[in-house]
Order: sequence, then structure tokens, then C-alpha cells
Amino acid sequence: MDKVRKDPLFWIFLVFLCYPFLPYLGNFVSLGTELLLWFIFTLSFNLCLGQTGLPSFGHGAFYGLGSYAAAISFLRFYGEDSFFLPLITAIAIGALFGAMLGWMIREKRGVYFAMLTVVFTQVVFGICWRWDAVTGGEAGLSGIDRVSILGLNMKDPHTYYYFCFVVFLLCAILIRTLAKSCFGMSLQAVRQNYIRAQYLGYNTGKYKFAVFTISSAFAGLAGGMYCMLTQSAFADILDWSKSGDVVMATLLGGGTVSFYGPIVGSIIFILFKELLSALWDHWALIYGLLFVVVLSLFPTGLMGIIINRSRGKKSKKGLLPTPAKQGGGAEEQVEQTN
Amino acid sequence: MLILSLILNGVVLGLVYTAVALGFSLVLGVSGVINFSHGIIFTFGAYFFWAMYQSIGYLPAMVLAPIFVAGIGYLVERVIIRRVYGQDPLFGLLITLGFAIAMEELIRMIFGPAAHNVDPPSFASGLLIIGDFVYSYYRLFIAGVAILMIGGTWILTEKSNFGAVVKAGMFNSEMVGALGHNLYKLRLYVMVLGSAAAGLAGILAAPIWSVKSGMGNAILMPSFLIVLMGGLGSIPGTLIGGLLVGLSISLGTLVVPRYVDIIPYLLMGVIVYFWPRGLMGQQNIIE
Repeated sequence: MDKVRKDPLFWIFLVFLCYPFLPYLGNFVSLGTELLLWFIFTLSFNLCLGQTGLPSFGHGAFYGLGSYAAAISFLRFYGEDSFFLPLITAIAIGALFGAMLGWMIREKRGVYFAMLTVVFTQVVFGICWRWDAVTGGEAGLSGIDRVSILGLNMKDPHTYYYFCFVVFLLCAILIRTLAKSCFGMSLQAVRQNYIRAQYLGYNTGKYKFAVFTISSAFAGLAGGMYCMLTQSAFADILDWSKSGDVVMATLLGGGTVSFYGPIVGSIIFILFKELLSALWDHWALIYGLLFVVVLSLFPTGLMGIIINRSRGKKSKKGLLPTPAKQGGGAEEQVEQTN
Repeated sequence: MLILSLILNGVVLGLVYTAVALGFSLVLGVSGVINFSHGIIFTFGAYFFWAMYQSIGYLPAMVLAPIFVAGIGYLVERVIIRRVYGQDPLFGLLITLGFAIAMEELIRMIFGPAAHNVDPPSFASGLLIIGDFVYSYYRLFIAGVAILMIGGTWILTEKSNFGAVVKAGMFNSEMVGALGHNLYKLRLYVMVLGSAAAGLAGILAAPIWSVKSGMGNAILMPSFLIVLMGGLGSIPGTLIGGLLVGLSISLGTLVVPRYVDIIPYLLMGVIVYFWPRGLMGQQNIIE
């Protein structure tokens, strides 16, 4: 029991189990659902960024593709009474496109990797925006319905919230197990010293390809569930600024130093965004400046500050892998901790 | 005749893109920073120009606006970009992206969301007519100025002492610092020059695309593509990349008008697949 109580996932579990019953928060069930989906999304993204050091700007595209995959397959192929099949399609499409992109750019690093993922996002956005016979173009797709599954009425936002909650828990446990497994350790080796890992005989390209595929499958799932939440799919969420949001939320929480950083980051990020946009029309001004201030003052993010303080260290800069110029980043890096 | 004017349009467009992408490429090469504020600096150039040109005339505004924009480039480097030198490129990308988002909203707050039209100057208005062929003088004027800018950058980097240091800085910045050149000043100068060039390109583009807050984003991605296609740190490569992007957009309207936006991206994908460093890229820059 003591071990369970020390597990942060247990506390997240408790808070989100009770969330819809909290006074005054009960009306924000859809916000809570969105938060849970963002948790899945950013945790999966952090497999790339935090574990492997891959600055992917393509995850917004996988999220959007998952969303479209669920919507299109629901409306055209599976008929009106399917619930799980569109989600499975979303996972498959996410994994498929992730594998395609990952295979093409598996040997790239740093700037080139980031740039090529941005370009991929733009291509996907361009196609979905223009191909209105399939994607609905600017108007998007709507009319996706949540149907009853096993006697549970998914149309009720609370039921759907708990469905997302269970899926989130499963995903979080899966991703954590993956991150702590042999595979996850190898990914850290790739991140911390690329060249040494290669000399030790790791095929770094294959590891990157594998992690990219897995991560984009989770992103696709989150997108598909988001499509079910809003009951529509729009090209807006494919814009590459969405990918920027994910990176921002992950870094804000300190995803590079802690497994739970993305969750903390998502909470802050989403709440901040919702509050600001409700208060002021020109909220993007503050939002953009927040990017600048947080990244220049706290490059390790919130969890980084907490971890460093608890270890009695000063905040370290440059927790992301430094470009391997003279045989890899020599600087010691804070390990992934819980 | 249609083909000819489309090709000419593509070349002019490509030259403007190249003029913008050069600054982006130089900053990336020398500082290792993916400068996403380049697009908003381009927008600033257009807006400064739009605010001034009616009161002080076309040419004075065309000289003054890049100077203001260079000042903005100076501030951005001093306040924001210098914090991320030597860190992961992702930080630079996100910090400048945040700045760009904030400034775009600031512009929208001050000038409103509407687009503003700018007339071509009187000395370059009108149409060139040779037989069947009709083309606007203003586009030829743009092409001329863009060629001057590209040529100037080429002379600066290939023929001058400053350029030699810049090129050396692209290959091995630590060595340049060890040889006694002030690396921070070098990066600052490159950023200021690149910003001024982006601002000037914004002015040139203003009469064609009209001045609006989103115009920076429309040019940022093509510069990105051009740098990837042409290869970082190569001026001829950037020119080739720019012309390829311009021509593919312009001629693409003939073939697949609907998907013309994504043709340059696909072209880039093919090029980078076969030439991973771009067409004229050299080894060991930001790798």
C-alpha cells in the first residue's frame, strides 16, 4: 500500500475519479475529458521528446489524422452504431502515418528532424484542407455520434468522461511500462549519447522508428477520442501550431526530466488557455509571451524545478540533448525519475 | 503567352522567397537557431512601410522601414535569441515562435484584422506590353531589387572579410571564437542584417499580397522549404531552392490548381530524400 501511495499515478487517479463530483467543477466535464485526452497525447509525445530526444512537430498531425480517421470511418464505413471500431481505425491510421514518417526521417537528428516533421504537418494540413470530398474541407465533418456500449450510455458526458478516464489510465500504465522497460532504457541511451549508443551496437535508426510509430499510435487514439468528444472533425486541429502547443505543454511541465511532467504541463497549459481566452480577446499576446518567459527562465519546466530543489541542486540548463558535435553531449543529464 | 507569364511570375516569386530565406538561412547557420520570428519581422517591415509611405513618399519609406526592422532584429537578438545559443534548437524554435505569436496578436490589436492595400509606386506602375505579352512593371521592379539583395548578400559573404568569418562560423563556431573573433557580435550582425533583408522583402511584397497580420506565416514556411531544399549555408543553393518553390507554385496552378499549396512540400520531400543535405548543402553544419 505504501508503494501505491507513493505512486503519482495513484493521486492522479483519485483526483480525476472525483473530478466530476467536485462542487462548481461539475459543469466542466468536457474540459476534464479534454484534459484526460491531452494527458494521453502529451505522454505519448513525451516518449519521443523526453525519452528519445526527438523534437517532433508532427504530433499535431497524428492527432488530427486520428480525429479524421475516426470521423470518416464512422460516417462512411462502420455505420451509425459503432464505437470502438472508429477508435481502432484512429490508432491504426496514427501508427501507419507515424511509421511512414518515422521510416523516412529515422536517420535525421536535431534541426533537420524538427523541420521535416513541421513540413509533414503542413502537407497533411494542406491535403485535409483542400480535399473536401472526403474531409469536408473548411466546414469539417460533423454528425459523429457516441452510441451505447455494454449498456453504458456514452452520450452522457459523465459516462464518456469515465470511459476516457479508464483509457487514460491504461495508456499511462502502458507508456510507463514501456518507458521503464529495456526498450525505454535503450531509448534513453539514444537520447543521452547518440554516438556512444551506436558504437555499443544499437541500431539507433530502428529505435527511433519504433518509438515514433508507437507514439503516433497513441496520438491517433487521443485524436479519435477527441473527435468523439466534440462529435466533429475540423482541419484546424491539424495546423502545426497545435504541434507547437504540445511541445510547449510538455516542456512547461518538465517532460524532459520527469515522466509526469507532461501531465502537470497539460493541466497548467489548458487551464491557462481556457481562462485567458475567456477573459480577453487578444489572449494570444499573453500566451505567446508566456512561451518566451517560461522557456528562457525555466528551461527544465516545473517538474525540473521541483526535482532540482528536492535534490538541492540549482536549475540546470540544456536538459535536452546537446547536438552531438564532439562525440555527443558530455554534460551529465538528470535521469528520468518519477 | 500564358506559360511565359506564369514562368516569369514564378521567377519573381522565387526571387522574393530567396531574399527572405537568405536571412533565415544565415541566422540558422551562424547561430544554430531556427528563427521563427523571421516571418513576423517580414510583416513588421510591411506594416512600418504601410504606416509611413503616404506621408513621406515611397522611396524614403522604403529606406526607413528596413532600418526600423533592423532595430527590431537587434532587440530580438539581445533579449530573446541570445539566451538559447548552444542549447537544443527546439528551444530557439519555440521561443521565437512564442514571440511571433505574441507580435502577430499585437499587430492585430493595433491595426485591426483587416488587410490594407498598398499601391505600387508611380515609377513602377503600369503594364509592359510587347505584342501579346503583358506584364506588370512592378513585378519586374521587385525582381530587380531582389536580385540586388541576393547579389549583395553573395558579395558580402563570398568577397568580404566579414563574410569569410560568417562562413567559418557556420562550419565551426568554437574555432572562430578561439581565433579571437567575437562570436556574439558576429551573430548579432547576422541577425540584424537578416532582419533588415526580411523587412525590405516585406515592403516589396506589400503591393502584391496586401498588408495583413498573417502574411509572415505565409512566407515563413516557404523559406523553411527553401533552406532545406537548397542546403544550408549555400547562397546558390538558396537561389535554386527559391526558384524551384516559386516556379512549382506558379506552374502548379496549371496542373493541379486545388493542391498547389502542397506541391513545394512534396518537391522538398523528394529532394531531401535523395540529397539529405539539400541540393548544394555542405557537411557539418548544424548536424
